[in-house]
Amino acid sequence: MSAVTERPAPVVDPGDPRLRDRTTMRSFIALGILVALLAVLPFVLDEQSQTVAIRTLIFAIMAVGWNLMSGYGGMFSFGHAAFFGIGAYTSAYLLVEHDISPWIGMGAGAVLSAAAGTLIAFLCLRYRLAGAYFALATFAFAQVFLLAVQNIDALNRTEGFNVPILPEESWSMMQFDQGSPIYYWIPLGILTIGLAGTIWFVHSRTGQYVQAIRDDEVAAESLGIPVMRYRLITVALSCGFTSLAGAFYTQYYFFVGPEQAFGAAVSVNAIVPAVIGGIGTIWGPLVGALIVGPLSEWLTEVLRDPPPFLDFLQGLTGLDVAVYATLLILIVLFMPKGIYGTLRDRFRS
Amino acid sequence: MKKLTLITTLAAGSLALAACGGSSDDGSSTDEIMIGSVHPLTGALAGVGALMNDGAKLAVDDINADGGIEALDGAQLTLGEGDSKGAADTGQSEAQRLIGDGAVALVGTYQSDVTTNVAAVAERSKVPLVIDVAVDDSILEQGYQYSFRIQPNATSMGTDGANDLIEMSEAAGKPVESVSYIHIEGAFGQSVFDAFKAEAEAQGVQVLKEVTYAGTNFTDATTQVREAASVNPDVIVATGYYPDSLLVAQAVNALQPDIDALYGVANGGFDDSAFPGDAGAAGQNVLSANYHYGATNDEVADIRQRFQEEFGKPMETASVLAYQSVRVIAQALEESGSTDPEELRNAIADIEVDDPLLAFDGPITFDETGQNENATVIVMQIQGDAVEQVFPEDFATSDVVYPTNQ
Repeated sequence: MSAVTERPAPVVDPGDPRLRDRTTMRSFIALGILVALLAVLPFVLDEQSQTVAIRTLIFAIMAVGWNLMSGYGGMFSFGHAAFFGIGAYTSAYLLVEHDISPWIGMGAGAVLSAAAGTLIAFLCLRYRLAGAYFALATFAFAQVFLLAVQNIDALNRTEGFNVPILPEESWSMMQFDQGSPIYYWIPLGILTIGLAGTIWFVHSRTGQYVQAIRDDEVAAESLGIPVMRYRLITVALSCGFTSLAGAFYTQYYFFVGPEQAFGAAVSVNAIVPAVIGGIGTIWGPLVGALIVGPLSEWLTEVLRDPPPFLDFLQGLTGLDVAVYATLLILIVLFMPKGIYGTLRDRFRS
Repeated sequence: MKKLTLITTLAAGSLALAACGGSSDDGSSTDEIMIGSVHPLTGALAGVGALMNDGAKLAVDDINADGGIEALDGAQLTLGEGDSKGAADTGQSEAQRLIGDGAVALVGTYQSDVTTNVAAVAERSKVPLVIDVAVDDSILEQGYQYSFRIQPNATSMGTDGANDLIEMSEAAGKPVESVSYIHIEGAFGQSVFDAFKAEAEAQGVQVLKEVTYAGTNFTDATTQVREAASVNPDVIVATGYYPDSLLVAQAVNALQPDIDALYGVANGGFDDSAFPGDAGAAGQNVLSANYHYGATNDEVADIRQRFQEEFGKPMETASVLAYQSVRVIAQALEESGSTDPEELRNAIADIEVDDPLLAFDGPITFDETGQNENATVIVMQIQGDAVEQVFPEDFATSDVVYPTNQ
């Protein structure tokens, strides 16, 4: 049902209140039910599974952020680690060096990240970098951040930051007992905001303009849409939101170093769920994260203690990585629109 | 509504996949005690990670064969194996899984950033962690109560490395007066260098030059060695990991600068048993100050021989440290007579291991930060295709060749 919401027939005015109300309403209801279902998970999961669920939510937040800029905006970013990292480091720095609450650090990180992203995107777009060149440029920026952080004394160079462990729970310092469900609900809340924001964005005038620019930049420009402005708005939203994942990461794992924040693997973590789930769809990044997040954990578990008929697999290391890669290739080959995107099209026809 | 149902089913289903994990029974019956081991078993460091895991496994088997923990009615140990995959967040969830499965203590993890995370888990879960390998000073600077480290930290390795060089060169009748220092960028290289420099200069040895290189994409050390040699030092000192240290040795061999020695401090290459073969002529007589298994200790020789027989690979120092860590926990279980993590922690804090398997200055005892007070480095030298211990004399398996080009 949400599917209908994303591609209104071009002849219909997207601002038509009847259409907008009906389809956005449905998406919001779907989101509400989904979140309600996900919110009770901490009560049924054991502690170890909860850590996997939290990692999955972090993936989902990053993928939702990435999808805004790259899926809807058409600006393929291979450097989202830069924005994840800015969020992680800003909140860590403010907390460790100045004792500032991570909630404030999270906000500050989002602002910084949005500003940095806007500047980078402006430079890339100003000099007409598109497609692979744009992707490479964003990747290069992320690497520059990685090298810079490793060499800045004030950011502890390669040592990173340790979040001081408090003796008691503290809401203001975002610190709770190990295994506390609050550690799950915070990223779930952030993700909900991100999905709600995406639903709003897709149906808003801004979002419609952005999609029009993605589909045909020249045509959009000839119709008088200020291309650069709307692209930069999208980038700012995407980068600011991605940085929330980084800020939470630091608080949950109590440690962040240059590789954890700005490493190339982080950028991949933002892209893969969106690609697997479906680029440029509201639910794709979430569906992708729900598959990718638990996958390697589940495979490891199977290999650690295989059922009788899979006994021969026991002790094989690295098989989870191979399966992960194979799955990725198969999905890209046979489901170019991603799992959600493909299923949606099938149900629609 | 069909699609909505589909989405939610998918969602709940995938998260439920996660729930399948870790649901096995905790296995903590009274006669079995689990120790959790977290090492990189897959990824770039899988080789050394597997060696360390095997070292811990051998220790558990040896203790069980010896009658288990007598104070707990001969309870048998089991090893819960965790794979950090070399990543800090995976290390953390593996540590949580093992604790959830009933591990009373943890050993690990080889990498400093993974260890930092696992130490935080240990602290919050109030389960003791015995660090086998992880050099970074800052891990124990957090004021944690549940983390203990057997190997020396970066600072003491730099300090002892300077001391040993000065004493050894004096004993050889050619006292060192100046050095150039080549090290990898980052916390590891920098902290070892800072400590070395402070100690060397306090003793009147000049550090003429500090040359650094980035660990990534490092394919040739000629420039660095030439720069280091340009000021005519008595000794070139090097700190780095295996591949880059190999390049430094090769460049020194190619340029033949007029120095008394190439001397590694906390060097990840110069005392590895693969190094003499890989370096060939470039490795001859290279000196290395590092922590090392006690090569003069008969018990260590026996353990290493049985390791080789069982796993088909030589037991490197890191693996001996994993073995030692399990032994520390076993001794603490014996002394406290309890599997309660709090009592176990206190027993480790008060422990005195009189016969360490490493070439240390004295028994293993922990100071209030959890650092082993008697962890020291010794000097090794490549002679032929063997890594010999050469200084101090108590641990020597061969006489030192110094200056090394004589």
